[in-house]
Amino acid sequence: MSLILASIKVSFLAMGVIFLVLGILIGVVNLMVHFIPYTAPPSPAPRAKAPAAAPAAGPSQDEDHIAAIHAALAHHLGRAPQDIHIQNITAL
Amino acid sequence: MDFSLQDAISKILHSTGFTALTGGQAIMITISLVLLYLAIWKKFEPLLLLPIGFGCLLANLPLSMMANTHEGGLFNFFYLGVKHEILPPLIFLGVGALTDFGPLLANPSTLLLGAAAQIGVYTTLIGAVALGFNLQEASAIGIIGGADGPTSIFLAAKLAPHLLGPIAVAAYSYMSLVPLIQPPIMRFLTTEKERKVKMEQLKPISQTVKIIFPIASTLVVVLMLPGVAPLMGMFMLGNLFRESGVTARLHETSQTHLINIVTILLALAVGSSMTAETFLTVDTIKIIVLGLLAFAMATAGGVLFGKLMYITSKGKVNPLIGSAGVSAVPMAARVSQKVGQETDKSNFLLMHAMGPNVAGVIGSAVAAGVFLSLFGSGAEGEGHTALETLKTLTASLRP
Repeated sequence: MSLILASIKVSFLAMGVIFLVLGILIGVVNLMVHFIPYTAPPSPAPRAKAPAAAPAAGPSQDEDHIAAIHAALAHHLGRAPQDIHIQNITAL
Repeated sequence: MDFSLQDAISKILHSTGFTALTGGQAIMITISLVLLYLAIWKKFEPLLLLPIGFGCLLANLPLSMMANTHEGGLFNFFYLGVKHEILPPLIFLGVGALTDFGPLLANPSTLLLGAAAQIGVYTTLIGAVALGFNLQEASAIGIIGGADGPTSIFLAAKLAPHLLGPIAVAAYSYMSLVPLIQPPIMRFLTTEKERKVKMEQLKPISQTVKIIFPIASTLVVVLMLPGVAPLMGMFMLGNLFRESGVTARLHETSQTHLINIVTILLALAVGSSMTAETFLTVDTIKIIVLGLLAFAMATAGGVLFGKLMYITSKGKVNPLIGSAGVSAVPMAARVSQKVGQETDKSNFLLMHAMGPNVAGVIGSAVAAGVFLSLFGSGAEGEGHTALETLKTLTASLRP
């Protein structure tokens, strides 16, 4: 019986300690949040627009590039060139 | 030398495990197979129950020398990691690296729910004493209510190493049963109106606060309860790896490879402690029953405190998040979310429940620290005023 009484005492004491420790932690967190408020990160700078394609590269040069890429792809894939359709090429 | 075929066959037969197999070992092998079944087919905490089950199987195969007590055996070396407080703190390092304290920091009062759920630990302590365990054993059993496997193993290895196997099995089994144990208690203790409460969106927290929190909480908790330094220290170090942003490799290793490796070693060591002599006792049955009581009372404690917060906050806190204070991260938080959505499909409690959930990890570590301060050896602190005070207090508590 005395052991049960002791365990009850231990329980009250321990719950008190737990609430005390976690209560102190709550205080610490509240202090931190008060003194170090959240600031939203700066929004990312708008990306510079990609420069327009060099004016020197005229339509005929683009067609040459497309033809070269077409041939290389067809060779690499082992397929007939007419099976491959390149729709768009963007300058980086 | 004469060679007799009959003698040779007889010698071979006598050197096999079959001749040495005892009834107790056969039962333990069956238990290990049940654990493997639960892990593989029922998906009950498979990452832990599978190696625990296999460790138990190996430990109970006669002449295998794989029990944790067989000096020089493989698992004896693994067990040294438990005995010398190495493996559970390393698990905590990984858990810390996986933990986001954001929801807790956004609503720090939820720490109280993590404290309230520890009521399960202490009601079980009283129950264990009533069933004939001494205070050290009862403390190790009570911590099952913390729903935190590494903490249970850590404390059992220190206060009641002979009960390590049943305590670990009970802790992990009931953790896997959280989705079955908690909902009826949560529904019973709350009204529909309370379950429907939608909580305000959590405010964002500064990264600096997230970095300082693990350092500050280590200082507070370890200064108050030095015995818990290995667990809290590693837990918060893992979290600092995560939040500091300057140790990406250490963070990555802690939350993946390290925790996986340590889980294998820890689970095998625990499984190897489940021998017939230590496991097949009446105490094991008592521990299994007390473990269920621990989880149920911890859930009830958290929910009831949640109700108190509901009243004091004038209906702003949903009491269902209180049940997540039992730890068992993140399963208990998911249960809060699920039970909340049963009443109102548009109610999302998960992030709100994560606050008490991680608070439960801290709460159970603190509860373990209190037990260590009261019943641990503490010889290294000889002469300190605080320790002397605790010793006097402990002496007055002991009959």
